[in-house]
Amino acid sequence: MNKIIMDDSMVGNTAVSALAISNLDFWYGTNHALKNISLDFPLRQVTGMIGPSGCGKSTLLRVLNRMYDLYPGQRATGQVLFDGRNILSPGVDVNVLRSRIGMVFQKPTPFPMSIYDNIAFGVHLHERISRADLDQRVESVLRRVALWNEVKDRLNTSAAALSGGQQQRLCIARTIATRPEVILLDEPTSALDPISTARIEELLDELKQEFSIAIVTHNLQQAARCADRVAFFYMGELVEVDTADRMFTAPQAKRTQDYITGRFG
Amino acid sequence: MPNETLHTVHSYEQELEHLRLLVNKMGGLAERQVAQAIIAVVDHDEAAALDAPEMDPQVDELERETEALVIRLLALRAPMAGDLREVVAALKISGDLERIGDCAASIARRAMRSELLSCPISVTGLRSMGRLVQDNLRRTIDAMDQRDPELARIVWQSDTAVDELYTAMFRELVTYMMEDPRNIGPCTHLLFIAKNLERIGDHATNISERVYYAVTGHILPIVRPRGGTFD
Repeated sequence: MNKIIMDDSMVGNTAVSALAISNLDFWYGTNHALKNISLDFPLRQVTGMIGPSGCGKSTLLRVLNRMYDLYPGQRATGQVLFDGRNILSPGVDVNVLRSRIGMVFQKPTPFPMSIYDNIAFGVHLHERISRADLDQRVESVLRRVALWNEVKDRLNTSAAALSGGQQQRLCIARTIATRPEVILLDEPTSALDPISTARIEELLDELKQEFSIAIVTHNLQQAARCADRVAFFYMGELVEVDTADRMFTAPQAKRTQDYITGRFG
Repeated sequence: MPNETLHTVHSYEQELEHLRLLVNKMGGLAERQVAQAIIAVVDHDEAAALDAPEMDPQVDELERETEALVIRLLALRAPMAGDLREVVAALKISGDLERIGDCAASIARRAMRSELLSCPISVTGLRSMGRLVQDNLRRTIDAMDQRDPELARIVWQSDTAVDELYTAMFRELVTYMMEDPRNIGPCTHLLFIAKNLERIGDHATNISERVYYAVTGHILPIVRPRGGTFD
C-alpha cells in the first residue's frame, strides 16, 4: 500500500501515468476554481474523483480534454502531461486530443441519428475506414459495452428510442470507437436505475484492462466499488489522494473523513 | 470518538450513539462479572459466586442487540472511514466482552467447589493475577469509553505481566500436584481459574487492539509482546 502512495510523488512519470498533472491552476474569469493541483492518473486504472458540488472535480475533467477552450475567459496554467506533451500548450490539436481522451457525460447524449451512425460519426471524423471495417468496428464496440445483443436487429433505428442505460452504454461505445487512451466520465450513472448502473460499473471493470479511466461521481459507494485510487477535492483544492481501500477505511485528512462519513454542513 | 463533528443526518448520529451505549453497558457488566468472580475465589464469597453467572443472560442479550444494530447500520447507513471502523470494532468488542463474561461465570462456578473451600493451598497468586487482570480490563474499557488510543496501546502491552503470572502459577500448581496426588483435584480447579483469568486478559488485549484501530485507523502489530512460555 505504501508503494502506491509513493506513486503520488512520481508526478510527471508518464511511464506509469496516463496523465500527469502538476501545479495546475484554473480560472473561470476571476474565480480561481482549481488551486495548484498535482495528480497522476495511473495507466489502466480507474481514478475516482469525489467532493461536494463546486469543489472543482468536473472542472478538472473539462481541463483534461481542453473543453474549456470553447469558452472565453476560462484559462488554465500549469502542466498536464499526456504522452510526453503538455496538453495545455497552445500548439496542441484539440480535435486529436479529444479523440485520444474521450468523455462521457452525466446525461446520455446520443446524437439524433441511428444507433449505427452514432458510432460511425466519430470514427469518420478521425480516420478513413472501409465500410466493412466500419461495420466490424461498430459491432466490436457494441459488444464491448454489452449492447450488441440488444440492438443488433435495429442498428438503423434512432438511438433516441433506447432506454437511458442503453443510451449511456451507446455513448461509451461511441467514445471507445475512436480508440482513445483515456476515458473521462462525469457522473455517468447519476441518471440511471440501479441495474443500468451495475452494468456500467461492470463495464468499467472490463474497460480498464485497456483504457485509463477518470470518473467523477457523487456516489461514494460507486467510487469505492469502481475506483482503484480516489482523489478528494474541496473548494478547488486536492485534499487527499489514496487507494480506494484506504480512502474509505482510514483517510488521513479530517476534511476527507468528514465528507465521506456525511458530516458536512 | 474519532470525530467530534456531528453527522448531517441526526438519526444516523443517534444510532451510532446507541451502539456506543450498548457496548459501554456490556463493558460495565463484564467488568462487574469479573470483579465478582475474583471476590468469589479469593474471599470464598457465596453471594459473589452466584452473581457473576446470573449476569450472563443480560450480557448475551446485549451482544445480540449489538449485532443486530451493527447489521442494520451496515445495511442502511453504509458507514465509511472512522464510522466503519467504529461499527466493525463494536461488533468484535461485543464478542470479546461476551467471552469475558463467560470466563468470569466459569470462574465463579468453580469458586464454591468443596475441594477448593477445604484446600490448604494459598490463593495469593490468584489474588494478584486477578487484581492485574481486573486493572487491565478496567483500563481497556476506559480506553474504549474515552476513545484513547494511547491508553489502549499501554494496556495492550501490559498483558505480558498477566501471562507471566499465569506461567508462574502453572508451575506452582503442577509442583503441588506432584508433591501429593490429593492436591490434584483442587489444583486442577485453580489451574482452570487461572487459565480463565489469563483468557480474560487476552480478550481485554483484543479489545485494546480494536479500540486502537477504530480510533487511529492503524493496526497494532500482530505479534504482541508475550510473557509466559506455557500455554
